[in-house]
Amino acid sequence: MATAQTLRQKERRRHLWIYAGLTPFVFIAVFPIYWMLITAFKQDPDLYRMDNIPFWFNLAPTLRHFKILFFQTNYGAWIVNTMTIAAWVALITLVTAVPAGYALARLRLPAAENIGISVFMTYLVPPIILFLPLSRVVAMLGLQDEWWALVVVYPTFTIPFGTWLVLPVSVPGVLTAVIFAFTLSMQDFLYGLAFVAPGDQKPVPVGVPTELIRGDVYYWGSLMGAALLVGLPVAVLYNFFLDRFIQGITGGVGK
Amino acid sequence: MTPASLQGGGPEPTARAAVVSVAVPLRSRLMFQSQTSRRLAFGYLLLAPAALYVLLLVGAPFVFSLYLAVSDANVGDPVATFIGLENFRSALEMDVFWIALQNSVIFLVVAAIFKSILGTSLAFLLLQDFPGKKLIRGLVVIPFTLPIAISVLAWKWMYDSQFSVINWVLSRVGLIGQYGTDSWPIWLGDPKLALLACIAVNVWRTFPFSAIVLLAGFTSVPLEVLDAAKVDGCSFFQRFRHVVAPMIFPILMIGFLFDTVFTLSDLSVVYLLTQGGPANASKILPVLAYQIGIQAGNLGRGAAIALFLVPLLAPAMFLFLRNLKRREY
Repeated sequence: MATAQTLRQKERRRHLWIYAGLTPFVFIAVFPIYWMLITAFKQDPDLYRMDNIPFWFNLAPTLRHFKILFFQTNYGAWIVNTMTIAAWVALITLVTAVPAGYALARLRLPAAENIGISVFMTYLVPPIILFLPLSRVVAMLGLQDEWWALVVVYPTFTIPFGTWLVLPVSVPGVLTAVIFAFTLSMQDFLYGLAFVAPGDQKPVPVGVPTELIRGDVYYWGSLMGAALLVGLPVAVLYNFFLDRFIQGITGGVGK
Repeated sequence: MTPASLQGGGPEPTARAAVVSVAVPLRSRLMFQSQTSRRLAFGYLLLAPAALYVLLLVGAPFVFSLYLAVSDANVGDPVATFIGLENFRSALEMDVFWIALQNSVIFLVVAAIFKSILGTSLAFLLLQDFPGKKLIRGLVVIPFTLPIAISVLAWKWMYDSQFSVINWVLSRVGLIGQYGTDSWPIWLGDPKLALLACIAVNVWRTFPFSAIVLLAGFTSVPLEVLDAAKVDGCSFFQRFRHVVAPMIFPILMIGFLFDTVFTLSDLSVVYLLTQGGPANASKILPVLAYQIGIQAGNLGRGAAIALFLVPLLAPAMFLFLRNLKRREY
């Protein structure tokens, strides 16, 4: 009995050490999100003063920043754009990546592996090399300054990955590919910045930093609210298939 | 993990071959052949949409960017003429190009050092078993899963020249003076601090990725193999050197490659925090390529500057391909 108890004590002490070691990591990871959250609900006079402790509300919380977002900016339109773009990208990814994944995995094509690796490798060609030629392609298609341009270019990073993610071709595989296409189309900034200029055509991650900041005037409350409202659900969704993602990049290539 | 193991339930190639060889005598040879060619045609048909999409929107633009780089293509003037290596030559003559190149290399190296230290320590902690592990892991990876443009905004607010929460804490602790004094750091406005401030955001965003990749590496080593090595009399060091290291090395290489590509080619952190300023102090190649290619409308020179990233990416690509080959044996 005595040994069982000391064992348990030892185990508990080990856990305490691990928690102590993890605390700084969790703090560093989560603090900026906490800071966005509290900023989004603080009244302006509470945001812009230095003599109070800033980590909690010194004045009553407010929804004013969200009101500004939805009634005085294009935020509502950006959310609709983002969702529509993501849905189209998911659809394109599905109709291209699922058949491709199936063919690569099941049909024993002679060149399957090389084709698979080449498709996957395109994921490594960074957008910064492609965005200038793609801007010409987008112009040729007559899509410059419309969010449709993004529907055309985002599948370039979802297809290579989707092809690996749908294996085995199954409901969870397909679902993963859909979530992946959804979240990945919200991770982009460069293409949205380069191809879509009109204020009401932008997706959220591009609209918020480019339209809500005017000159040197920052509406930090609205900015943080706008960022968080879309960012947090995406982060949570992404979290669910992060292991699949890592598996995809570390094992999706090679033999 | 390999594509074969990702297939899950599918029969192993040898098993499938066995099925086929049983079936062959039952059918005429001719029919089998036509079935094979039909299967191949069907397979390539299924592959075609994905392959074409990628070919048209990644392959072709890449070639097109090589063409742009040797032309005087301009946003206003659609007719481009061939001007040889002029764009590359004029890029090399710009002072700001050399500053951007140097900053890109500093960014990559300094960020890599910090994220490997943080990532490795986090991976070792997460390798242990303890209650609440799933939740803690979920929290720690948030920086990586949050859309990048969105998390950069949080940092822009935390780096605010007057209401920075970082400065508030430093000031209360007594490490810096009051707002307005010389010791009050202006993170994004001070040429000595701007690049470091941007690097910090990159490290914050990617250290969870390093940790998770490393963790995937450690957990990919099957315990049976380790046990077998132990039974065979391998010491701890031998087990690490001959079993663990060779097994996790390829995974680390791929993680390193992905991180190099994303860190070198990402423009959003610097663009949103400083736009490369103050006075080019935090200018990196992607930001310069964007400013020249899109904002100044000089497509040719912008493409040439972006292509200077290729030699920087080449070592990582080389290691990756070599590693692919090695794993084929």
